[in-house]
Amino acid sequence: MANKANLYDVSRCTACRGCQVACKDWNQLPAVIEPFTGSYQTHEDTNGDTFTIIKFFESEDPVTGVHWNFIKRSCMHCLDAECVKACPQGAYMKSPSGATIHDPEKCIGCQYCTYACPFEIPKYRKREDKISKCTLCADRVEEGLTPACARTCPSGALTFGDRNELLQQAEARVKYLRKNGFPRATIYGKLELGGLNNIFVLTDTPDKFDLPVNPQPSATIGFWQNWVQPYFGWLIPLALAGSAMSFVTTRLLANKQGEHGHDHPVEGGHE
Amino acid sequence: MQFIPEYREDLPRVERFNFVSRMTHWGHTVTFILCLLTGLLLFMDGMDWMAPIFGGFNGANMVHRVAAVFMTLFIGIFVVFDFKGIINWIKDILRFGINDIKFIMVFPLEFLGFPVKVPPQTRFNGGEKGNSIVTPTCVILLMLSGYIMWFPMIFPAGLVRISYPIHDLAMIFATLMVCMHGYLGSFHPGSGESFWGMWKGTVRKDWAQHHHAIWYEETYGDKTKDAE
Repeated sequence: MANKANLYDVSRCTACRGCQVACKDWNQLPAVIEPFTGSYQTHEDTNGDTFTIIKFFESEDPVTGVHWNFIKRSCMHCLDAECVKACPQGAYMKSPSGATIHDPEKCIGCQYCTYACPFEIPKYRKREDKISKCTLCADRVEEGLTPACARTCPSGALTFGDRNELLQQAEARVKYLRKNGFPRATIYGKLELGGLNNIFVLTDTPDKFDLPVNPQPSATIGFWQNWVQPYFGWLIPLALAGSAMSFVTTRLLANKQGEHGHDHPVEGGHE
Repeated sequence: MQFIPEYREDLPRVERFNFVSRMTHWGHTVTFILCLLTGLLLFMDGMDWMAPIFGGFNGANMVHRVAAVFMTLFIGIFVVFDFKGIINWIKDILRFGINDIKFIMVFPLEFLGFPVKVPPQTRFNGGEKGNSIVTPTCVILLMLSGYIMWFPMIFPAGLVRISYPIHDLAMIFATLMVCMHGYLGSFHPGSGESFWGMWKGTVRKDWAQHHHAIWYEETYGDKTKDAE
């Protein structure tokens, strides 16, 4: 199956949050009520029972005036996903259509993925002691349907389909926007982190939408995954082998040279 | 074959570790091994077969955290009930000198059982001083990074990210030291007597004189201070 992606066009979004509701509905997620913070935004961030949210940003530019940006945020379904690599239980996999799916049966709630993810998308669900996140409705896609959010979007801001085709569409749209009042319009998710399966058409630079401009996998997590885990652990069997060797040689040499250990100082026990 | 030297009650013995030290030591032995076994489930591939021993991964998770809390408590007990012991321990580590360097130089030969001449040592010899620095440092790092990983939501994400490699590295170096320490403190023919120092609290007087001459003279000797 070809790599399928969700294209989200900020310029067409009206922030109705129909996608948020459709997501809750399809995934049977309970409501999470968070206190009002003075913003239209329903939740501070995605959480264990909220896979999709619309984020709202207000900013003022001395030249162009007040800007009110909003953006749909959920899992990016990176082509080369960090969560897949970090999970010690192999609970993550890429679906044939390119979605990153998480298997709660294998999950042990260690939350390594949350911090390996450059977007901190996988969220801890306390009531189950497991991680949860958007699946790009892999179950629906398998049956030939489109994800719940894309299906419900009334303004055409969300399109689900073949990634390469969507990229062409997105580029054409960015070209159009640049000529029509959005000179800083840009595409996000084409090259970022080697490509995302959530492609954005933004009307402004990514930082105006709280997206990392040049997201990178964490260097600390990389060091941990690529160096510490595979190589440093060998020091332990080395110590055991050294002790085993000493166990044999001390006894062999003692037999050769008579009583050992009473005639000279040696390493003592504990401190 | 004899594994650990016999406990000789008929020979004169001197106290090496008091009750609080011994309780902390064995408390840490048990909790460290529990944490290690449960932690290896995640650290190493192919350890899944061990999970059922702890009641599956959720059970192992629980054992790891309960053991970690007890490990912390034992440090608290040590600090509260034998603060002087900790200070004396640190003071002895700070006496690291030429004799300790000489000890570490010849130690590999001694380790394998070759007869070597070792200069007189203080309460803790060069190798023990090294262990006294590395293992507690690693345990403190394990605790700090562990609690950060336990409650990641109240710490900055950068701190949580750096805790993962720190936890693993501290575990590896602590386990390396624990393996060596466990072997030297039991099955190694020369130093096996020190097992009784930690188990019963006393060691043979002649062994103390041989292995920790400076400590013996200062603590039980005839106040001959020119040993160094």
